[in-house]
Amino acid sequence: MNASNIDTNEVLVDCQSVWKVFGANAPEAMKAVVERSLTKKQVLQDYKCVVAVSDASFQLRRGEIFCVMGLSGSGKSTLIRLLNRLIEPSIGKIIVKGKDIAKLNPAELRKMRARNMGMVFQSVALLPHRTVLENAAFGLEVQGISKGERNRTALAALEKVGLADWVERYPSDLSGGMQQRVGLARALAADPEIILMDEPFSALDPLIRRQQQDEFRRLTKSLGKSSVFITHDLDEAIRLGDRIAIMKDGVIVQIGTAEDIVAKPADDYVADFVAGISRIHLVKARSVMRPVDDFKRSQPQCDVNALPQTSPDADIGELIDVTMQSDGNALAVVEDGVVVGVVTVRGLLRGVAGMPAEELVAA
Amino acid sequence: MDTAVITDTFDSWTDSALDWVSDNGEWLFSFLRTVLEGTYDGVLWLLHLAPSYVIGLIAALLGWRLINAASGILAGLSLIFCEVMGLWAETMSTLAMVITATILALLVGLPLGIAAGFIRSLDRILEPVLDLIQTLPPYIYLLPAIALLGYGPATALAATVIIAMPPAIRLTSLGIRMTPREFIELGQASGLTPWQMFIKIRLPFAVPSMMAGINQSLMMAFGMVVIAGIVGSGGLGQTIYESLRTLDIATSINAAIAIVILTMVLDRLTQSAAHRTEGGAE
Repeated sequence: MNASNIDTNEVLVDCQSVWKVFGANAPEAMKAVVERSLTKKQVLQDYKCVVAVSDASFQLRRGEIFCVMGLSGSGKSTLIRLLNRLIEPSIGKIIVKGKDIAKLNPAELRKMRARNMGMVFQSVALLPHRTVLENAAFGLEVQGISKGERNRTALAALEKVGLADWVERYPSDLSGGMQQRVGLARALAADPEIILMDEPFSALDPLIRRQQQDEFRRLTKSLGKSSVFITHDLDEAIRLGDRIAIMKDGVIVQIGTAEDIVAKPADDYVADFVAGISRIHLVKARSVMRPVDDFKRSQPQCDVNALPQTSPDADIGELIDVTMQSDGNALAVVEDGVVVGVVTVRGLLRGVAGMPAEELVAA
Repeated sequence: MDTAVITDTFDSWTDSALDWVSDNGEWLFSFLRTVLEGTYDGVLWLLHLAPSYVIGLIAALLGWRLINAASGILAGLSLIFCEVMGLWAETMSTLAMVITATILALLVGLPLGIAAGFIRSLDRILEPVLDLIQTLPPYIYLLPAIALLGYGPATALAATVIIAMPPAIRLTSLGIRMTPREFIELGQASGLTPWQMFIKIRLPFAVPSMMAGINQSLMMAFGMVVIAGIVGSGGLGQTIYESLRTLDIATSINAAIAIVILTMVLDRLTQSAAHRTEGGAE
């Protein structure tokens, strides 16, 4: 799915131990937090300050969609605004494409925002007195690009989101989902490497939301963009994110792939969250298989090499399909021509039910 | 007795202050008078270039384009009615005075309102001043204006400009401050310079509020221009004032009708023009 010439190890955004404290006494409160490691509650009591983001560190790599999932008040909206310095961090460093953004002067900062980072808002924020085309061309217009050229580029961006027939209309003529696609086209038109998505689909109804999620993922991957995507919806994070960060009270409590988070939640909070999530398309054969030796001990009469075969990355849904098509109760997981494990029906049931990890893989 | 002394002292201070200002500011006030009367004469000259039916036709066309055909015809006919009542010259004088006063009020009011929208402290200083201007009885401005500018259109204009300015300042400043937060964020995230932020984001969102301010300034000017008949404004205001003194009820009512017609026509035209600026999507 990735565009082939992308170095997925390149770090585009490096967020290093970033804190944000809001309030009149923020500097003193921040100092107290560092020196005496006060809790969030103590800071609110003693300094009347709110700790919005607390020691957040993560990296956005080229070509990846990085979802930040948290409930309202978890600090996720603050976190995304720290990345393009709409909000200044209290302490900590944010490196974008190798540059510490705190050290940029106003002109350099404007250039970074205009060229490297597009942003899409929950409120969409389309200018009501401009046509769809003029809205999509907004970012290019403020960069001083000539009208003909910016309209061509904006039209191409609108084509990508399927709105080429609507260029002369005004935002009020469009449905919520279409408006949000114009918002995305506006961000894409300036051709930034990084797209910051601030809960863009939260206000849409479920069916439209799923369409937009799929379309966004397809577009981002085909254009080789990278994205930090904020959401309060775990399903959305799982659907979209290559990696997911779970935020709670300003702290990133876990970062991992959807499977990591669902199969190995870092704490009770995350575990509660993922409890209702269907594991069928998340949990892979690798996580539910038993080691070959272990399987042979319990069923010595069974020939492992004669079992139906599957790959370690097949999800439980696929494993169920293969199992149903065969007569037996077990599948062999084959990697590079070698049987590396066996998936039994018992294992599949455990995987679906989200049983603890140590019982799944005894390796 | 004590209070009488205090009152007398205060009054004499006021008088001598006014004397001092008129003695020492002579050059300033004669300059102001020249500017005010010059602008007024210019506008009046323009309005007199066209005969009444042409002005009526222009109003009809504007009404048709901005509102609808019926309103256009009504606007044109009602202006012609002023001619029928034999009050055309007075109507045009009043129109010239209102237009001049509103333009001058906007020339000061819009920039001041924009500045107040950005500078919180300026807004805090202006607020009580505007409150004062709007709560003082309008007649208060006429006497000192006569003392400084003499009897005639200049005085009427100065008082009208002062009365017409506050709504333009207030609503402009409000419009600038009311830019929705998400659009400020959009501007920042798109890398706008402060000037681009003003021109491309703040100003477009402020325009409807500014247009409402312009309309209100116009209405305030109409109100004042009638009162200013006392100081020799010319036009319908003076016609009303003089017919009141001679108890010529018929003329005063005719002039009042002309005022109402003029006010309604301008109000509707500017209001619908203002409406059109609220997003092109309607």
